[in-house]
Amino acid sequence: MSILEVCNLEKHFGDVEVLKNISFSLEKGEALSIIGSSGSGKTTLLRCLNFLETPNGGRILINGNPIFDAADHASRSDEEIRKKRLHFGLVFQSFNLFPQYTALDNVTLAVKLQNKGRPVSEINAEGMALLERMGLADRAGHYPHQLSGGQQQRVAIARALALSPDILCFDEPTSALDPELTGEVLKVIRALAEQETTMIIVTHEMSFARDVSDKVIFMDEGVIVEQGTPEDVFVNPSSERTRQFLSRYGE
Amino acid sequence: MFWTVTLSLFRGMGEALEIFCLTLLFSLPLGLVIAFGSMSRFKPLAKLVNLIIWVIRGTPLMLQLLIIFYGPGLWMENNIWAFSSGRMVACIVAFVINYACYFSVIYRGGIEGVSRGQREAGQVLGMTKSQIFFKVTLLQMVKRIVPPMSNEIITLVKDTSLARVIAITEIIKAGENFIKSDGIIWPLFYTAVYYLIMVGLLTILFNAIERKLSYFR
Ligand SMILES: Nc1ncnc2c1ncn2[C@@H]1O[C@H](COP(=O)(O)OP(=O)(O)OP(=O)(O)O)[C@@H](O)[C@H]1O
Ligand SMILES: [Mg+2]
Repeated sequence: MSILEVCNLEKHFGDVEVLKNISFSLEKGEALSIIGSSGSGKTTLLRCLNFLETPNGGRILINGNPIFDAADHASRSDEEIRKKRLHFGLVFQSFNLFPQYTALDNVTLAVKLQNKGRPVSEINAEGMALLERMGLADRAGHYPHQLSGGQQQRVAIARALALSPDILCFDEPTSALDPELTGEVLKVIRALAEQETTMIIVTHEMSFARDVSDKVIFMDEGVIVEQGTPEDVFVNPSSERTRQFLSRYGE
Repeated sequence: MFWTVTLSLFRGMGEALEIFCLTLLFSLPLGLVIAFGSMSRFKPLAKLVNLIIWVIRGTPLMLQLLIIFYGPGLWMENNIWAFSSGRMVACIVAFVINYACYFSVIYRGGIEGVSRGQREAGQVLGMTKSQIFFKVTLLQMVKRIVPPMSNEIITLVKDTSLARVIAITEIIKAGENFIKSDGIIWPLFYTAVYYLIMVGLLTILFNAIERKLSYFR
């Protein structure tokens, strides 16, 4: 059974339809890349999965269990949404680290709040282990403003991983970074893919998407134009729109 | 002579300090209420509150003092301030309304200045609304509002001298009385010392707070 199934998702802002009939599924351990031009609805899709936006139609299922159903208005209490969104983690384009906490505290804050009974030392040890995986063990005590963009984004990835989400979402994780810093972040994401982390990556890094993903979705104007293996989408695209988009990226 | 002046100025200083402290006591929380009102999603309320803020910030505090003190007696033919400390109460009311409006604008800037991304990061991490407020946004707001608040509070120290327009003998009035009665001006310089000390202490206090919060950006 697919770990994630999205069925006929719809989202509009006022009269503007931003997502139209979005359907796809994702298997455990897979990495899915979403590509598409600016304004095609990629961010909105991730925000819907993370309950930052409420879709106007469709369903979202985790392991076959519906966690969102637009037809069912009953299950929308803050408390339930809070639990359901923990299936997902989200790494923002602009990091959004908490400036008043150290790297380690950024990683552990939510874990501590959710597990009031657990010994703090244990949580901190886990946080340190995560920072180590990100290559940031020596930066644990630094505040975000003392870190480079690439380091901040890696802390943000550790922070998302700390809650062990079923699916980790990235929204253009390297777009806010200087070119020389994107490499270190992509390396971390690549390592996560090798460790079979289930991920959805919105990115403009085409060669990276082609390399790391098991599945690629090309979106345009709120619809999925094409989805398949990286081969399918990058080498043998079936649609003219996909070809045009890819040629602009010099693929 | 020195002791007569000192005694009289101390009485004036008491009045000034009373205005200062009570104004802060009431206008700091009231300002927060007004700030929330001005950001209300119920548009008519937000409009009304913003209109009030505009009027209060757009007119001199001296005018507001006069209207609040003399208005009720003249309009309602019933001076609601006609009790022993009525003058002082009217004065505090005017100051509190005025300063609460100024503070509300500062609070609002602090609240709106914390990016939406901060709240969303908390939400995505499964934090509750109150956890997001207390653990994520509050300290960032405080950091933002400390510098403008310190300016406003230092202005309040000096604004207390306006209370004389409704015949409250605050410290400058107390000093000025000696010009007429004894033809001496040095008590006025003496009053300056009070202001300098007050402002000096507050500056030290706020600098310390700012320094305490300077570990993050
Ligand atoms: N809160 C909102 N209110 C109104 N319109 C919105 C809102 N959020 C997004 N949109 C619109 O929805 C469309 C899709 O936006 P979205 O941010 O999802 O695109 P994107 O694919 O992530 O683009 P980019 O590559 O530039 O990040 C855009 O036309 C945008 O203007
Ligand atoms: Mg986007």
